[in-house]
Amino acid sequence: MPLDHRRLRGPEESQPPTLWAAAAAEDEEDEEGAGAAARDPCALRPLFARAGLLSQAQGSAYVELGSGTKVLCAAWGPREAAEPGPGRLICEFRRAPFAGRGARGRPGAAAEREAEREAAAALREALEPAVRLGRYPRARLAVSALLLQDGGSALAAAVSAAALALADAGVEMYDLAVGCALCRPPAPAASWMLQPAEPEERRAAARLTLALLPALNQVSAVLGGGRGGPPEDWAQALRLGLDGCHRQYPVLRQSLLRAAQRRRSTPPS
Amino acid sequence: MEGGQEGGQEGWMDGRRAGRRAGRMDGRQEGRKAGRKRALRRCGREAAGMASVVLSEAEKLYIVHGVQEDLRVDGRGCEDYRCAEVETDVVSNTSGSARVKLGETDILVGIKAEMGTPKLEKPDEGYLEFFVDCSSNSPELEGRGGEELGTDIANTLYRVFSCENSVDLKSLCINPKEHCWVLYVDVLLLECGGNIFDAISIAVKAALFNTRIPKVRVLEDEEGTKEIELSDDPYDCIRLSVDEVPCIVTLSKIGYRHVVDATLQEEACSLASLLISVTSKGAITSMRKVGKGSLDPESIFEMMETGQRVGKSLHIALQKILDEEENLGTSRPKTEIPS
Repeated sequence: MPLDHRRLRGPEESQPPTLWAAAAAEDEEDEEGAGAAARDPCALRPLFARAGLLSQAQGSAYVELGSGTKVLCAAWGPREAAEPGPGRLICEFRRAPFAGRGARGRPGAAAEREAEREAAAALREALEPAVRLGRYPRARLAVSALLLQDGGSALAAAVSAAALALADAGVEMYDLAVGCALCRPPAPAASWMLQPAEPEERRAAARLTLALLPALNQVSAVLGGGRGGPPEDWAQALRLGLDGCHRQYPVLRQSLLRAAQRRRSTPPS
Repeated sequence: MEGGQEGGQEGWMDGRRAGRRAGRMDGRQEGRKAGRKRALRRCGREAAGMASVVLSEAEKLYIVHGVQEDLRVDGRGCEDYRCAEVETDVVSNTSGSARVKLGETDILVGIKAEMGTPKLEKPDEGYLEFFVDCSSNSPELEGRGGEELGTDIANTLYRVFSCENSVDLKSLCINPKEHCWVLYVDVLLLECGGNIFDAISIAVKAALFNTRIPKVRVLEDEEGTKEIELSDDPYDCIRLSVDEVPCIVTLSKIGYRHVVDATLQEEACSLASLLISVTSKGAITSMRKVGKGSLDPESIFEMMETGQRVGKSLHIALQKILDEEENLGTSRPKTEIPS
C-alpha cells in the first residue's frame, strides 16, 4: 500500500518542552525566588479596576493586578426564572486556554472543567452574602468571569471584578465584596505574603483566599489549604488579608463612581 | 469545665458492631415528606445542596435560644459530638474500608489500591483519587443534585489532603516515573443526617488505617518486558501511617455562638459554617466557609480555636477505637450470609 505523504500525522498528545527543561529552569527560578524574598510581605500590588466597559452586558468590570492577573467580568441583571422562591445568583468562571504560564490547558478537558466549577462555586459563596437576593424573587442574576492571564491571586481578583460588575449592572447589594489572596513560602519560619505572584503561588506551602465586605466588616468567603500550622498563624494571615481588602476598597469605589460619571456624560445612543 | 468536657468526649466513640439494618428505610420516608413541600423548601435545598428539613419559625427560634444557653435539642453542649460508631474492614473486596455512623449520618468508604503511572510533576510519588456518591440518600439527590454535592465533597477532600505530608505518598511508589500505587477512595453517602463532612473524614481516616497494600516488585528482562512479582505471603503488605491525616471539623454559626456536629435541624438554622481540617497535632491544613451568610472576623478566630481543641480530642478518641479494632484481628466475628 503506498505511503500517504500528504498528511503529516503529529503526535496525539502534545506536551510543553519546559517539562524536560526542568533542571535548567529550576536554577533560574531559585535566583528569582531569592530576589523576591526581599519584597515586603504586606505590600499590595498596584490594582487597576474599570467598570462599565462592555456594551452588550448590563454590567461589566475589568480588574488587573500588578503581578499580571487580568480578569474580565460581565453581569446580567434580574431575568425571570421558572422556579418560585427567592432570587438565585448563577456564577461562572472560565479560564482562557492561554491563561496559564505552563502548558496550554485543553478547554474541554475534565480537569479544567472541574477546576472551573470549583472556582465558580467559591465565587458564588463569596458574592451571595453581598447581594440582596430577597429583593428579586423568582429572578436569576448571572455573573460570568473570564480569566485572561493568571499571574497569581486569580480567584481574589475575580471576586472583586464580579462584585464591581454586579454593582455596575444596578443590582442591589449590601456592600462590594473585595477579594485578597495570601500565600506562605515553604521555608520553615516564613511569614504570610499578600497577593503572591504566580511562581510564588506555585511553590507555596499554604494558600489562602479571602473575600470581605469592608463597610460591614463581614467576611464573606474563606478558602485556604496547605501546611499552615497552628491556628495563630492562620489568624495572623486572616488579619493581614482583611487589612489588604480594606486598602483595596477605595480603588474599587472610585472606579464605580467614574463609570457612573462616564455613563451620565455620554448621551445614550 | 475543660476536664469535664474531655472526659465526656472520651466515652462517646464506640466500636460496637451495629445492627446490619441501616436506617435506609427511614431516609426514604423522610425524602418523600420533604418532596411534598418541595416548592417551599427549594431555596433551602439550593443553598445547602443537601436533603433539608422543614422547620417553622418557632422551632428555629427554640433552637437558637437553646444554643445561646449552651443547650442543644438533644441535650448536648455546643462542643459535643453525637454518639458515633466506627467499624473497619467491612467490605472484603477492597484494600481497606470503613463504615461510620454519626447519629443519623451513615457513611461507607472503600479504598482500592491499583497500579498506575505517577503524575508527570511528581514522578516518585503515588496519589489518591476521591469519588463521592450521594445518590442513595433521598429522591431529591438523584441525578444532578447528588452529582453537585458529590463533586463538592470530593473537591473538599482533595483540598484537605493537598498538604504534602498528610499521607506518605513516597511509600506508594514502586518504580519512579513508571509505576506507583494509586489509591481510589470511594465514599458512599448512605444517609444524610447532618454534618456529613466530619463523618466522611473520620471514615476516610479509618479506611486508610485499615488499608493493606500488597508488596510488589516490577522486574525488567533484557528484552524490556516487565514482570510484576507479588509476594507469596498474603499478610506481607504495606500499611499507611495515619498520624498526619487530618479530620474535618464543621462549626456552624447559630445566633451568636457556634456549634460542632450540627444535626439537619440545626443546619437549617445556621446561615454560615466554617469547615476546618485539623491534624492530630493541632495543625490546621485547610479552611473553608460554606453557606450563604457572612461571618464576623472575630467569630472566625474563635471558631478556629474551638476547631483545634475539638479536633485534637476527636483524633485521640478515633485512634483508640482504631487500635482496638486492629487488635481484634481475625478473631472478629464476620456475618455469614445464610445459604
